[in-house]
Amino acid sequence: MMESFKLIRSPAIVEKRCPTLTARSLSKIFHVDGGFSTVLDNVHFDIESGELVCVLGPSGCGKTTLLKLIAGFMSPSGGSIEIGQRRVTRPGPDRCVIFQEDALFPWLTVAENIAFGAKTILPGDRLSKEVQRYLEMVGLSAFKDYLPKEISGGMKQRVALARVLILNPRVLLMDEPFGALDAQTREEMQNLLLSLWAELSHTIVFVTHDLGEAVTLADRILLMERNPGRIRDEIAVPLPRPRKQESDAFHCFYRDLKNRLK
Amino acid sequence: MKLSEHYFRYLPWIPPGLFLGLWFLVSRTGWVPAYLLPDPAHIARAAYTYIFGQPDSAPYAGRFLPDAAASLLRVALGFSFAVALAIPLGVLSGRIAACHRLMSTSINALRSVPGISWLPLALVWFGIGMRTTVFLVALAAFFPIYLNTAAGARQVSPLLYQSGAMMGVGRLRGVFAILLPAAMPQMISGLRLGLGISWAYLVLGELTGVPNGLGAVIMDARMLGRIDIIIVGILLIAAMGRISDLCLNTVMRFCFKSARRMT
Repeated sequence: MMESFKLIRSPAIVEKRCPTLTARSLSKIFHVDGGFSTVLDNVHFDIESGELVCVLGPSGCGKTTLLKLIAGFMSPSGGSIEIGQRRVTRPGPDRCVIFQEDALFPWLTVAENIAFGAKTILPGDRLSKEVQRYLEMVGLSAFKDYLPKEISGGMKQRVALARVLILNPRVLLMDEPFGALDAQTREEMQNLLLSLWAELSHTIVFVTHDLGEAVTLADRILLMERNPGRIRDEIAVPLPRPRKQESDAFHCFYRDLKNRLK
Repeated sequence: MKLSEHYFRYLPWIPPGLFLGLWFLVSRTGWVPAYLLPDPAHIARAAYTYIFGQPDSAPYAGRFLPDAAASLLRVALGFSFAVALAIPLGVLSGRIAACHRLMSTSINALRSVPGISWLPLALVWFGIGMRTTVFLVALAAFFPIYLNTAAGARQVSPLLYQSGAMMGVGRLRGVFAILLPAAMPQMISGLRLGLGISWAYLVLGELTGVPNGLGAVIMDARMLGRIDIIIVGILLIAAMGRISDLCLNTVMRFCFKSARRMT
């Protein structure tokens, strides 16, 4: 056991070769007042490097729990998650989360929030250059000295994106990140995410309950059901990019999927 | 808009102004006799002598500086002990549920003991003077600082810790990088309450017969029937308390981003 653990941790392997995210027989049971509830039951999946996968399901199906397990904020009751064949045991900068709610540090400016995680790894002069670069990437250069309370919800999520992208994570975990935004801002943010993804090609796991959002973004959709939380189906989205929500192909696919969900 | 802002700045001076007017009225008209409440002008003269007078030219003349220095030292020492103990314990109990469970009952029980009932014990333990006063000040200032720090630390959103963890911030660094700044507004209220209470317990400690200090002067003046000096002492303690509160606020804002930006 110890031997194989050491082997897996070898940095060459972690850095180059094993970019996939895998879940094997994953389950999570919560104990509540003497009883227990199975939130996730026997979940399996593989996610390729650079893939954008949406986890779609009704509320209470355990999709946020799944994301927390991948992030390492909690440990599974059974099964395992591996990133590049390295087992996830705790949070780390290789798997960064964009939360649904505002999780910026309210006492730091936009630029300081973006620098927060990077400042222990980058030397001072590189840091400010990188911060500048990611500020531009999310279109917030003009707001770098603002505090979180002084900017809008959409802008906060841009900061949340920039502060994790600067760490160059292997996997980006997004927990309904645009759910609290108005329709127009949400579309803007989806487009921003897609253009960043095209440029940086991170692996993204995107949790949502919005079918339209999943069809707009995903290479592949993991469809979840609840009680207990399971992956019911895997659906590849073959639509060419960029996807237009007004196009006939989009509509057909959306309608078919919606019927399947009933 | 401009005009109302202008007036706004003077609002804090209205209650003391009104109070002073009423005081003039009751003492000048003789409604309250001078041996109970001397005339404000008389108090002003007494204050002047107490603060600026040549030492030994009159009773209490020029004693303000040594008295204030002695009191300030006692408050500073007691308050520092309280801060040094209350903030680490507050952080522990706010961050770790087991620590909270371990300490909260005992601390709440101790907290409900009135400070004055510690006085006899403190006198036996530490004798009359500096150490008793510092002990009382530290004891009294501890509770508000501890309770507010713990409450502030408990209310830090888990999302902030999770954000820190995924960006490589461990538990220990998280205390300095996340917990303390996030709990800063409540910690500052705790510190300010603690400092205010420090002045109250300073006087209690000094009432026991120490030779110098603002509380000692009040007690001494009562024995000698110098009601003017009692009032001067009370006013000066009020002023010192307010000034030290301003200083505390300024220092915190100067030293910590989170204090500047979140309060």
